[in-house]
Amino acid sequence: MLSLLLLIPFLGAATLLLWPSTPAPGRMRAIAITALALQLVWSLRVLVAFDPSFGGMQLEESVAWVESIGLNYQLGVDGLSLPLVLINAALTLVSAVCTRDISQRPRIYFSLLLVISGAVNGAFLAENLLLFFLFYELELIPLWLLISIWGGADRAYAATKFLIFTAISGVLILGAFLGLALFTGTVDFSLTPIVGERLAMGSQVVLLLALLVGFGIKIPLVPFHTWLPDAHTQASTPVSVLLAGVLLKLGTYGVLRFCLGLFPEAWPLIAPGLAIWAAVSVLYGSLAAIAQRDMKRMVAYSSVGHMGTILLAAAAATPLSLLGAVFQMVSHGLISALLFLLVGIVYRKTGTRDLDVLRGLLNPERGLPFTGSLMILGVMASAGLPGMAGFISEFLVFRGSISAFPLATLLCMVGSGLTAVYFLLLVNRAFFGRLAITPPTADPSADGRLDIRLLGVDLRETLPALGLSLAVVGLGVWPAGLGLLGEATSTALAQLPALVAAAQGGLG
Amino acid sequence: MPLPSQLAWLIPLYGFCGMVLALPWASVWIKRNGPRPAAYLNLLLTLVAVLHGSLILREVLAHGPQHLDVPWFQAADLNLRIGMDLSVTNLAALELVTVMSLACQVFALGYLDKEWSLARFYALVGFFEGAMAGVVLSSNLFMSYFLLEMLTLSTYLLVGFWYAQPLVVTAARDAFLTKRVGDVLLLMALVALSAWAGSLEFQDLYRWIDTAQLAPLPAALLGLGLIAGPMGKCAQFPMHLWLDEAMEGPNPASILRNSAVVTCGALVLLKLMPLLRLSPLAIDVLLVVGSISAIGGALVAIAQVDLKRACSYSTTSYLGLVFLAIALQQPLLALLLLFAHGLAKALLFMSVGSVIATTNCQNLTELGGLASRMPATTTAFLVAAAGLTGLLPLGCFWCFGLMVETFLPEHPLLTAVVLLTNALTAFNLVRLFRQVFLAKPHAKTRRTPEVTWLMALPMVSLAVVVLLSPLVLSRLDPALLHLRALSSGSTLLVLGSSLAGLLAGVVVQLDEFWSRSLFRPLRLLQDLLAYDFYTERIYKGTIVAFVAGLARLISSVDRVFVNGLVNRIGSASLASAETLKFSVSGQMQTYVFTVVAAILLLLGSLVWLKA
Repeated sequence: MLSLLLLIPFLGAATLLLWPSTPAPGRMRAIAITALALQLVWSLRVLVAFDPSFGGMQLEESVAWVESIGLNYQLGVDGLSLPLVLINAALTLVSAVCTRDISQRPRIYFSLLLVISGAVNGAFLAENLLLFFLFYELELIPLWLLISIWGGADRAYAATKFLIFTAISGVLILGAFLGLALFTGTVDFSLTPIVGERLAMGSQVVLLLALLVGFGIKIPLVPFHTWLPDAHTQASTPVSVLLAGVLLKLGTYGVLRFCLGLFPEAWPLIAPGLAIWAAVSVLYGSLAAIAQRDMKRMVAYSSVGHMGTILLAAAAATPLSLLGAVFQMVSHGLISALLFLLVGIVYRKTGTRDLDVLRGLLNPERGLPFTGSLMILGVMASAGLPGMAGFISEFLVFRGSISAFPLATLLCMVGSGLTAVYFLLLVNRAFFGRLAITPPTADPSADGRLDIRLLGVDLRETLPALGLSLAVVGLGVWPAGLGLLGEATSTALAQLPALVAAAQGGLG
Repeated sequence: MPLPSQLAWLIPLYGFCGMVLALPWASVWIKRNGPRPAAYLNLLLTLVAVLHGSLILREVLAHGPQHLDVPWFQAADLNLRIGMDLSVTNLAALELVTVMSLACQVFALGYLDKEWSLARFYALVGFFEGAMAGVVLSSNLFMSYFLLEMLTLSTYLLVGFWYAQPLVVTAARDAFLTKRVGDVLLLMALVALSAWAGSLEFQDLYRWIDTAQLAPLPAALLGLGLIAGPMGKCAQFPMHLWLDEAMEGPNPASILRNSAVVTCGALVLLKLMPLLRLSPLAIDVLLVVGSISAIGGALVAIAQVDLKRACSYSTTSYLGLVFLAIALQQPLLALLLLFAHGLAKALLFMSVGSVIATTNCQNLTELGGLASRMPATTTAFLVAAAGLTGLLPLGCFWCFGLMVETFLPEHPLLTAVVLLTNALTAFNLVRLFRQVFLAKPHAKTRRTPEVTWLMALPMVSLAVVVLLSPLVLSRLDPALLHLRALSSGSTLLVLGSSLAGLLAGVVVQLDEFWSRSLFRPLRLLQDLLAYDFYTERIYKGTIVAFVAGLARLISSVDRVFVNGLVNRIGSASLASAETLKFSVSGQMQTYVFTVVAAILLLLGSLVWLKA
C-alpha cells in the first residue's frame, strides 16, 4: 500500500521522460498533475486505512534488499509521518498547478518535481536508516537542478550554496548512521532506540550531535541557515513552495525520528542546550526578517524563526509539545507555501518584490485586492492569530514546553510576537497606501500617478492560494482532526526516554 | 435547559455568518445592484442576535444562570473547551454589545451612504460583533483570549478601512502592534496558567488560586501578564496611543470601539480579578495605571483640537476608573461604570459622527453654531455629556457617587482621582459643546441640515436609553437598588466637582486665534498635552529604535559574518584549487614519483603503527 506512494510519482516521472516525441508543455503539465492528484488520492486512501489510536508503525512493508550492509526496503507510517505525507502530496500538487507558461525544458522540470515528491515520501516512510538516507539524498540533486536551471539572475551562486550545505548535511547524517554501526559493531539499521548497553553515553552524544547538525542545516537553524534566503530568492515560486512547505520538514522530521527516536537516553542531556539554540534561532530569524527589503527574503527568514520552535518542542519532548511539533510542521508548510504563492503573484504582476518600491497593492480594480486580502490572512496566520493554523500549533508547542524550559519558551514567544512586526510592515508597506510600483520620489505628483494598472489576476491563478487559505483556516478552527491523527504517536515518542530508563532500571 | 439557552453557541456565530455572507459583495464578486444586500443581511443577523440574547436573558432571569460547554480540542493533559456562562451580567453585556452593534450598523447605513466598499465595512463589523459576543459570554480564559485576538485583528482591519490614506496606514499598524504586545504578554500568562492550574475555566482557576503555592516572582509576572492584555485593549497608559490614532477609521466603527470593545477588554479583566490576589504588584500597577490613565486621559482630551480625539481620550480616562474599581476588588462598581460609560460614550460618538457627516470636518476651530440647525444632534450631545458626568442623576452620576462612597474611607487619594476626572471631563465636554454647537458659525458650518433618519433614529433611541440608564441598570441587578441610598456627603462631592468643571468650562476663553497661549509655561503645558505627553516620540526613541536597531544589527551580522564566512570558505577553496592547478606539471615522472612516495609513506606509517 505504501509502496504505491513511491511508485506513483516515480512512474509519473518515467512516463514524462519516456513519452514519445515532444508533447506540448500543457500536456506534460497535465500528466504531472494527474500523477500528483493520484498520489494525493492514494495518500488519502492511506489516511482512511490508518488507525490513529495506535502509536507505532502501521501498514508496514518489508523486503530484504542488501542484507549484508543492513539496507532493507522497509516502509511504515505513523502519526508523525502521515501528516507530512499528506502535506507533501498536497503541496507538490499545488506547485505543479501554479507552474504556468514554462518555456524551458518542461519535460525535465515536471519529472524533477515528481522525483522530489516521491523521494520525500520515501524519506518520510522509510523505516531503515540507510533507506532514509538514500531518499534524503535523492531529493537533493533534482532540487539543485530546479534552482539552477529555472531560477533567478543569481541562481548559480544560490544553487551551489544550497548544494554544498545540504551535501554536508548528508555527509554528517551518513557519518552518524555509519558510526552507529561501527560503534555497536552490528549492521542493524532499523529504527530501534539505542540504549546504554549497546553504546556508551559519550559515543551516543557524539553521534547525536552529528545528526543534529546534519538536520539543523536542513531545518535550517542559525548559524547554518544562510543557504535558505538565497535559495528562496533565486528559486521560482513553485520551487519555493516545495522547498519551504515540504523539504524543510525533512530536517525537523529527522530530528524527531532519528535524534529523539534513536537516542532517547542521551536526549535529556543535551535538551537544555537545544532549547537555548531554539530560542536563539527563533529570535535571530525574526529580527533578521524585520530588516529585509525583499518580500521573499522576509518570508524565508520567518521560516528560520518558525522552524526554530519545532526544535524547542523536540527539546521539551512532552506529549503535548511533540504534538505541537507535528502541528507546527503542517501549519508552517501550509502558511509558508501560501505566502510564497502570493509573493509569486505579486512578483509576476509587478515585476518586483522590493518593499521600498511596492505600495498600495490593495487598490481595487487597478491593484491586486484579492491577492492582498489573502496575503493579510496569510501573514495573520503566520503571526499566530487565533482561528488559523499558526495559533494552535504555537500554543501547543509553548504549552508543552513551558514547564520544562520556561525561559527559552518565553523567548520563543517573544520571537513569535516579532512575526507580527515584520509581516505587518510587509502588508502596510506593500498593500496599504497609494498604489505605486516605482521608488518614491520627492515629487508628489509623480508618486500619485493614476495610470498604473496591474494585470488582473485570474481566478485560476489564485485558486491554489485560495485552497491553502481555506486549509489554514480549517486547521485553525477544527484542529481536533490533526490532533487525533498525531496524538498517539507523539505520546509514544515522548514516553520513549522514560521507557528506556525504566527498562534500564529493570535490567540493572 | 430551554432551547434558546441550548442554542446560545449560535450567538457569536451570527456575527461571523454575517461576515461570510457579506464576502461576495465585499470581494466585488457580485457587482450588480450595489453592496447594500450585504448590509441588510448583517443587520438582520444582528437583530436575530439581539432577540436571541434577550430570550436567553428572560429565561436566565426566571430560572437562574446556565452553563454551556462544548469540547474543542483535547490532547494529553490539555483540554480546551468552548464554554459559555449564561449569567445575568454576561447576558447584559451581550445585550449591550449586540444592541450597540445594531445601532451602529443602522447609523453606518447613513454615515457611509456613498462609500464604495460598504460591504467590506459590514463584513468587518460582523466579524467584530461575533468576536465581542463571544468574549462577553465566554467562561474560560482560552476562549476569551482567542476572541480578544480576533478583536485585535478586526480592529486593525476596521482602522485600516481607508487604507490608501497615509495616516490610516500608521494608525492601523500602531493599533495592531500595541494590542499585540499586550496580547503576547497575556498569552505568556495564559500558557503558564494552563501548565500550572490545568484547567482554564474561570471557576476552576478561582478554586486553584485558593490553594496555589507560587513563588513571589512567578506570581508577580503572572499577574502582570494577565493585566497586560486588557491594558492594551482598554487603551490604558502607556498603551493608549492606538485609540487616538484609531480615530482615523470610519466613525461607526469608532462608536463600537469606544463603547463596546473597551468594555469587552475590561470584562475579561473583571473575570480575571480574583486571580490578581496572587500578586500585590499587579494590583499596585493596576492602581497606578488606572490613576494615570484617568487623569492623564482627561487632561490630554482637553488639549485636543480634533473633535473625535477629544472624545476618545476620555474613553482612556473612564476605563482608568474602571481599572481602579477592579484593583480595589469592586466588581459591581466596575460593571456599573462600564455600562453607564458604554451607553453614554456611544451616544456621544453618534452625535460627533453626525457633526462630521454633515460638515465633513472634525477640526474644532472650524466648527461652530450647530445648535440651532441640528436639534437632534445637539440634544444627543447634551444627553451624552450629562450621562458621562456626575451632574444630573443619570448613569455615571450614580457610579461616581458610589465610587466616592466606597473609596473615601480608605483611599482618599483615589477618591480625589475620581472627582478630578469627573471635573476635567465636565470641563472638556462643556468646552466642546461651546465650540461646536454654540460659537458663531464658520464657513464649513453655515449650511448644516440635520442628519438623515438612518442616523437620527439610532441616535435618538440611544438618547432615550441613556436618559433611562439608571432604571435600566437597577432593573438588571436587584443589588443595584441600594444605589439610591447615597449619602449626602458623596452626593455633594460629585455635584461639586461636576459644577466646578462646568463653570470652568463656561468661563474659559475659547478664542481660536489665541488657543495657544502666549504665556510660555502654559504653552509648554498645552503642547505637552496636545502631543499626548509626546508618547509617540518616546516610543519612537525607545522601543521602536531598539527593535529596529537590533534587527539591523542582526541583519548585518548575518550578512557580514555568517554569510561572509561561508563565502570566504568558498572562495578560499576555489583559490587553493586555482593554485594547485599550477603544481600539475603534466610529466609522467612526477606522477609516478608521487604515487611511489605515497605508497612508501602509507606502508611506513602502518609499520610504525604496528610497532
